[in-house]
Amino acid sequence: MPALLEMKEIEKSFNGSPVLKKVNFSVEPGEVHALMGENGAGKSTLIKILTGIYPKDGGQIYWNGEPVSVEHRKDAASLGIGVIYQELSLIPTLTVMQNVMLGKEQSKFGFVNARKMKQKVAGLIEKYGFHVRADEVVETLTIAQRQTVEILKALSEESRLIIMDEPTASLSAKESDALFGIIEQLRRDGVSVIYISHRLEEVYRLSDRLTVLRDGVTEAVLAKEQIIPADVVRLMIGKELSEATASNNLRTSDAPVRLKVGNLCKKGVFHDISFEIHKGEIVGFAGLVGAGRTEVMRCIYGADPYDSGTVEFEGKPLAKQITKNIANGFGFVPEDRRNQGFTPLLSIEKNVALTNYDTLAAGGFVKAAAEKKLGVEMVGRLAIKPGDSQIPVGNLSGGNQQKAVLAKWLSRGLKLLIIDEPTAGIDIGAKDEIYKILENLAENGTSVIMVSSDLQELLRVSQRIVVMRKGEIFTEFASGRITQEDVLMAESGILTSGAKGGAPQGEAGTVAKEGGTNG
Amino acid sequence: MRQENMRRLISVASLVILALVFGFTSNGFFTATNILSILRECAITGIIAIGVSFVIITAGIDLSTGAIVGFVSMLCANLLYNYALPAGLVMFISVLAGTVCGVLNGFVVTKLRVPEFIATLSTQYLFRSLVFVFAIREMGVITNKKITDPGILIMGGSVNGVYLVTITFFALAVIGQVILKKTKLGTYIYATGANRKSADLSGINTDNVRWAVFIITGFLCGIASIFEIGRIGSATTDLGTGLEFEVIAAVVIGGCAFSGGRGDIFGTAVGAIFMAVLQNGILKYNLPTAAQLIIKGVVIVAMIVFDSVYNQYMQKRIHQKASEEAQAAGGEA
Amino acid sequence: MDKKPDIRKILGKSQRIWILAAVMLVLTLLQPGVFLTGANMKSILLSISVYGIMVCGTIFPILLGGIDLSVGAVAAAAGAFTVTWIVDHGFTDGAVAVGVLGGLFLGAAVGMVHGVIVTQFSVPPFLITLATQNIVYGVAQLLTENNVIACMEPASFAFLGGGRLLGVPFSIWIMMIMAVISYIILGKTVFGRNVYAVGGNAEACRLSGVRSRLVIIMSYVASGLTAALSGIVLASMNRQAIAKAAQGYDNYVLTALVVGGASLMGGEGSIQGAIWGAFLVGVISNGLRLVGVASDYHGVVKCVVILAAVALDAHVRYKKSGLQKTSPFFKKKEKAKA
Repeated sequence: MPALLEMKEIEKSFNGSPVLKKVNFSVEPGEVHALMGENGAGKSTLIKILTGIYPKDGGQIYWNGEPVSVEHRKDAASLGIGVIYQELSLIPTLTVMQNVMLGKEQSKFGFVNARKMKQKVAGLIEKYGFHVRADEVVETLTIAQRQTVEILKALSEESRLIIMDEPTASLSAKESDALFGIIEQLRRDGVSVIYISHRLEEVYRLSDRLTVLRDGVTEAVLAKEQIIPADVVRLMIGKELSEATASNNLRTSDAPVRLKVGNLCKKGVFHDISFEIHKGEIVGFAGLVGAGRTEVMRCIYGADPYDSGTVEFEGKPLAKQITKNIANGFGFVPEDRRNQGFTPLLSIEKNVALTNYDTLAAGGFVKAAAEKKLGVEMVGRLAIKPGDSQIPVGNLSGGNQQKAVLAKWLSRGLKLLIIDEPTAGIDIGAKDEIYKILENLAENGTSVIMVSSDLQELLRVSQRIVVMRKGEIFTEFASGRITQEDVLMAESGILTSGAKGGAPQGEAGTVAKEGGTNG
Repeated sequence: MRQENMRRLISVASLVILALVFGFTSNGFFTATNILSILRECAITGIIAIGVSFVIITAGIDLSTGAIVGFVSMLCANLLYNYALPAGLVMFISVLAGTVCGVLNGFVVTKLRVPEFIATLSTQYLFRSLVFVFAIREMGVITNKKITDPGILIMGGSVNGVYLVTITFFALAVIGQVILKKTKLGTYIYATGANRKSADLSGINTDNVRWAVFIITGFLCGIASIFEIGRIGSATTDLGTGLEFEVIAAVVIGGCAFSGGRGDIFGTAVGAIFMAVLQNGILKYNLPTAAQLIIKGVVIVAMIVFDSVYNQYMQKRIHQKASEEAQAAGGEA
Repeated sequence: MDKKPDIRKILGKSQRIWILAAVMLVLTLLQPGVFLTGANMKSILLSISVYGIMVCGTIFPILLGGIDLSVGAVAAAAGAFTVTWIVDHGFTDGAVAVGVLGGLFLGAAVGMVHGVIVTQFSVPPFLITLATQNIVYGVAQLLTENNVIACMEPASFAFLGGGRLLGVPFSIWIMMIMAVISYIILGKTVFGRNVYAVGGNAEACRLSGVRSRLVIIMSYVASGLTAALSGIVLASMNRQAIAKAAQGYDNYVLTALVVGGASLMGGEGSIQGAIWGAFLVGVISNGLRLVGVASDYHGVVKCVVILAAVALDAHVRYKKSGLQKTSPFFKKKEKAKA
């Protein structure tokens, strides 16, 4: 019997750089097949090709043994492929059944046959034991429930293959369990699932097979018995690399404490966050999607409010207003560069000047010459290309845009820089430049908090690594040399022998063994 | 549906409170004649508000409705005076002209990709200008000629005291509500407004939906024009000025949010009645027109602000509730 | 990085003068002896000066991606206040001073209300300025008691709109001074920089420490102030205050701004462009009238012009999409976040 899905020798390049190099991937009917790989390994590109969002450059896709071409989303849907992204795409003011049947309503002369719709949807709900009702309005549902509505949508379209991208990122343990039950049920019904996740314990528990992608190539395809977290991690990172790129000697700095966070809590987002940052230290914050790192940093900076806890900066309580924090020497480079980092229509010069008017202006009037000088200086210092400070930032490449955002802060005497995903979407050459910039900052006494999902980056730059998980600090690596595996395992809630660090807070006595599930 | 019901309750409550205030502080408010008069007053605004509700639910806006009514009314008056066309034909033309205006609006918004408010703001200028083009002139001077066709004038009349326009309004309102809640188009209207990207992904042609709601609005403006000239008996060049604002206020007060995806015709009907009650009640105090305008304006601003605050508050509460439930379900987020 | 086919860039400073000159040339040829006369030019300049003053302030909320539809009403109310004050207080110079200040204060106050409501309650700007339009119009009616209030003296007041300085009508001087002030504010002050920044990406500005709320409120105050000033000048020009003064001026202002290159999405536009737009609007309106195009059709022309300018702008932006705009006023996306 042919495989349900077979992707053979798929190739894809962006702007001349290859992202997928003859990737092979197949899924059997009624199989839960996990897809894992580091950021940049090519997972999301592969899926986007499968769902018709990107065209492929080479290779062939087979469905039930027949070659098919997937050029639009519609093609994928008509084959029977459904996708559930993290960004849920439901209509909040409509009911579950209206959402499930959206675009495919059964109607006569424009009138929707509500009864039939409800029957169909309620039937599906009962079959799978979902905890929603067909006539509930979506905006009253929890994230977990909304996810089930998405699954319902895929099911109602007679999908034979459902792709789930990090489905448990925003779910509680109990909700995750419920989701696993649903996946079980799907498997029994012969529906296959492609499960994309970084969470080792889940993958171990659910999958029949696992494909590991690394660097645009299929590194391995493991059968259920062969799935051992340590091995998987090694495959994801690459044997040679994992040994060669251990971190520097991690250490806790003995410089004075600059930032002290105590028991920071925000209901439903994170709790009991406590850590210290020393002068001139670069501390990396690792964690999987949904761990809560960005949220914590935004609250510390003053961009979002938090519920309780203390934040002290150089011994004094930190203000909750961004303007005051900037005046005190804070800098913040947000994760969403495009929408929060810069003003695209304005030039590099004007973007850089935005944070500097305390020095670039007198009595409300801008000192144009000084403004221009600063712009030119920062362009040179950070090697922004093209080297013209008048170019609108929106026209620069990703790496240069990030440099422009950094320029905004580096032009000031910073005491603490929080940078979230410093090199997302940036090519290797520019990445290195940015690391050097950060290291330079630290050498000159600036503290740097770096939130990152890029393991290599974390190891290369950080002097200490804090790992967050599900809204809490799970552990901290502050001594010795650790490897990417150590970090990746920790992000999934597993402490390896190579790691130092106490038991995860808040969950006394549940340091997981390798391969176990954390509750 | 709980939030919808809550919002409806608030609209109705506001209406009742306003009515009671007027009832107790002025004379002659709660009489049959007055109530029938209120129901008549709310109808023109209400008919148009049905269409504008659709538009606002799609997260759009239409600022040209008053000008459309002005233009179509003048066109009809012109045809009646200069060509003595039969009433039936004129009414048909009225509806047709309104619909064409709606088609134009939809075109500018969906094909030229001009943002709704500037699109309809500029078509407003266009339609208002057409009023002058079609104005009846005697020797170059615009004169106001009375309409004498009984077929038209009867539209301004009543049956057993209940005005025709009121009956039409309620009938159309029911149809509008049915469309919103029971048809595919209605579902698509909500979807387009709440999350256009998702709606597109689900295969809905959101451009067509948005075009359709403008056409419906134009169509309804055409209908409203018939009743307008039927009642007034002539068409002046400033007919319909400010009407678009009355309509929008009625829709907002009735619970349709500008963010889209929310609200219904029931709320809008309540909003239209609210506006009519407001106008009617203020008149009872015999205040100078200026004071009337100011008080009316202040009440409307207050309701708009209240509506915004309420929406913000409800959004916050919904997110809170959802995360609380998630926490309760698992102990950790 | 693709080439920007930005027509507005093509309409750079010097090209604008050429376009205006070309239009005037055409009109001169069409109406020889009528268009290019001193009297006609003066009439054009006088009407331009009124909404020219308005654009100097209304450009601020437009740059933010908002709008102010109340300018006509504010102008009428401010003019009404000033005139009635002068009339009630003996037509003295002192009364003029107080009256003018009071009128300006009125405009600023209305602007403040707009700014606060837009920032605190997230009410869309067009809606709130449309709503207050009625209230302010009512105030104008209240002040004038629905009459025409004549005010031909004192000379100090009449000078504002009717006087001449070095042969040029004083109202034009006022417009030019306001234009210079706006130019300086927009181009040379931190506030001006912030206006462009907030209009371009409000969230990025917030994270960079810009006090967006204040910027927005002050922008609406500016719009109210210039509307008030123009209304006072208009009242002086007409030597009377009437509630319906400046009706439809919001329409001229908008056209002038849009034609002058301001984008209604915010972040783009200049005062030079706006003034040029005002001139173009004035010349074309006058030209249309002279050529015999009935004033009925002016609305048609205006509509087409605005739509053309906006459609162009929207098209350029639509093609460049990937630039996601964060308007300070509308947050439509639903965020399902734990």
